[in-house]
Amino acid sequence: MSNYNFSLTTFSPSGKLGQIEHALAAVNKGVTSVGIKVQDSVVLASIKKPGSSLIDLDTLKVVEPICGSIGMTYSGMGPDFRVLVSRARKIAQEYIRLYQEDPPVNILVKNLASLIQDFTQSGGVRPFGVSLLIAGYDSRGPGLYQVDPSGAYFPWKATAIGKTMVESKTFLEKRYNKDSGLEDAIHTAILTLKEGFEGQLTEEFLDIGIIGTETTVEFNVPGKEYKNPEFRVLSAADIRDHLENTV
Amino acid sequence: MSYNGTAIVAMTGKNCVAIAADKRLGQQFLTVDMDFQKIFPITKKTYVGLPGLATDVQTLYKSNMYRLNEQRDIEPKAFAHMVSSTLYEKRFGPYYIEPIVAGLDKNNNPYICGMDLLGCMDVAHDFIVAGSADENLKGMCENLWEADLEPEDLFETISQALLNAVDRDALSGWGGVVHIITPNEVITRHLKARMD
Amino acid sequence: MDKSILAEIVGDSNTGFKFDNALRNESLTSNGTGAPKATKTGTTIVGLIFKDGVVLGADTRATAGSIVADKNCAKIHYITPNIYCCGAGTAADTEFTTNIISSNLALHQMNSGREPRVATAMTFLKQYLFRYQGHVSAALVLGGVDSTGPHLYTVYPHGSTDKLPFVTMGSGSLAAMATFESKFKPNMERQEAIDLVQEAIESGIFNDLGSGSNVDVCVITKGKVDYLRNYAKPNERISKLKSYKFARGTTGILKESIHKFDIVVESDAMDVV
Repeated sequence: MSNYNFSLTTFSPSGKLGQIEHALAAVNKGVTSVGIKVQDSVVLASIKKPGSSLIDLDTLKVVEPICGSIGMTYSGMGPDFRVLVSRARKIAQEYIRLYQEDPPVNILVKNLASLIQDFTQSGGVRPFGVSLLIAGYDSRGPGLYQVDPSGAYFPWKATAIGKTMVESKTFLEKRYNKDSGLEDAIHTAILTLKEGFEGQLTEEFLDIGIIGTETTVEFNVPGKEYKNPEFRVLSAADIRDHLENTV
Repeated sequence: MSYNGTAIVAMTGKNCVAIAADKRLGQQFLTVDMDFQKIFPITKKTYVGLPGLATDVQTLYKSNMYRLNEQRDIEPKAFAHMVSSTLYEKRFGPYYIEPIVAGLDKNNNPYICGMDLLGCMDVAHDFIVAGSADENLKGMCENLWEADLEPEDLFETISQALLNAVDRDALSGWGGVVHIITPNEVITRHLKARMD
Repeated sequence: MDKSILAEIVGDSNTGFKFDNALRNESLTSNGTGAPKATKTGTTIVGLIFKDGVVLGADTRATAGSIVADKNCAKIHYITPNIYCCGAGTAADTEFTTNIISSNLALHQMNSGREPRVATAMTFLKQYLFRYQGHVSAALVLGGVDSTGPHLYTVYPHGSTDKLPFVTMGSGSLAAMATFESKFKPNMERQEAIDLVQEAIESGIFNDLGSGSNVDVCVITKGKVDYLRNYAKPNERISKLKSYKFARGTTGILKESIHKFDIVVESDAMDVV
């Protein structure tokens, strides 16, 4: 058996890094997540995989806030995601300690992607088995990015990752409308996930995060006065309402 | 402050800010340079004045420029916080510098901010002073500054505050330079001053 | 890969002070060039518990030696949405200590999914300050309302803490405490509590030279914070009756250069990789 199948840091003669491709395969086995950016907001939505009907899904969170103005979801391996959430939050806080303001989305993405890249080139580690969708809002407006296990990152208007990535993207290409509002974007996200979901999609199996000009938080402390969009994870009741409105 | 001698002052005006400094670099009572740069441009509309020990002026300027890696024009407030954090990192072995940040933010609102050598920020709506002539400058500005000065009037006010302050400080003076930052342009003027 | 990256995933992020300049500064001092004076807050800061929550109060003077460095600084610092903290001592230390604890609590809140408790903030602060053995000179009044009710603490620079229904700190603490001792009573109404805090701060402003200018008040109740910046201004400056404006052309100019900005239409950078 050839060495490059197992060694992370060895290119195959065809120019591929096997482990990174395998990590992407792990991502494509994971449940689907979608992100949609419209005029002045972004939506992240992800499925919670019911491995068994006995699992208590209430405590499982797949859409997480990173800092006030940024949130994140994933497809792939849950444990790896939680490590990256914790790292991303620390990256955000390091930035905040330096500048006393939330990091711009592209800066956070760049720093996090650089950490993920480190895990493709170092001894004693394996790449992360997740692709991330990162949504946020900064002085440039709404932002939506995907980060892959290789450390590559892409800005998107709308995208999907995970098991039904191809079908979902085709669906999004047809449905996407840049000028639609937040409500429309949430419905499109739900519809996209419904397409690829086997069985009845209820609020139990779904996490949604939103940020935009409709989700602002006001801050009124001397030296830190602002009114900024805030990333919010929707409650089960809110998701149920959205599901009912989405036929 | 008293080793090399400095006087730096920043003031707000109507949709404009001004920052001014003397030009002397000394070693105690010996004058070494009469055209020493103490104010540095950071972005188009943000300038920083670095009064204090000359070696730290240049070190701090370089280390701050190195940290600006964001490919965007940093806002004066965020830049001030960054300088402040850089200073506090050396809380127990500080740079002998009391920086002044002056600029217009993205909405062209004036922003001026001073710091002590540990990085404690003082965001003012009127004026900020620092250097070996800081007490003289405080007295001058407390008297001369008024709200909503037009760029040309702000120039006269800040220049007179600076010139008259350094005339009563042996360690600073030997010329002065003023930058007036407006939404459309930055006017830089070198002042005629006593050379003693 | 840098070994610390793995360590950082589980461990503390890399904070801490640098001592590069310490030796140089020591030799400069011995040669007669001392450090510039750091800004201190002479300060009167107070806090008390009333019927529905906590009221914090502070003056707004910052000093550098006997010079008033800032006439209207803010000494009530944000910690979390339900916890605030007044600071006295070296101004930079109070500012950065509260910022770091605020940042740690933000992480703690996201990781635990719960609203931070005042006791947690107090413990973070005392552990941080004890680690620096009093060299980080921050004397704090910490107050907030959490799931277990209102809480009020003082935190001393060496890391000791007190939990009391009414507290004062800073150089004006004696003046303020005199007011509290004579007039505090448990379960006061909101306005009564604010009035007492104002009176305590004003006694600091007028009787302690390290304190001055205005009164800041912060009222924290369950689910609501009212930060009343410059609640009272007992020392307003009398405006000048005449202007000292100079005639244009007063100042002699040697050289002038004008840098005009190009009008650039900003492109949408988001869609460009």
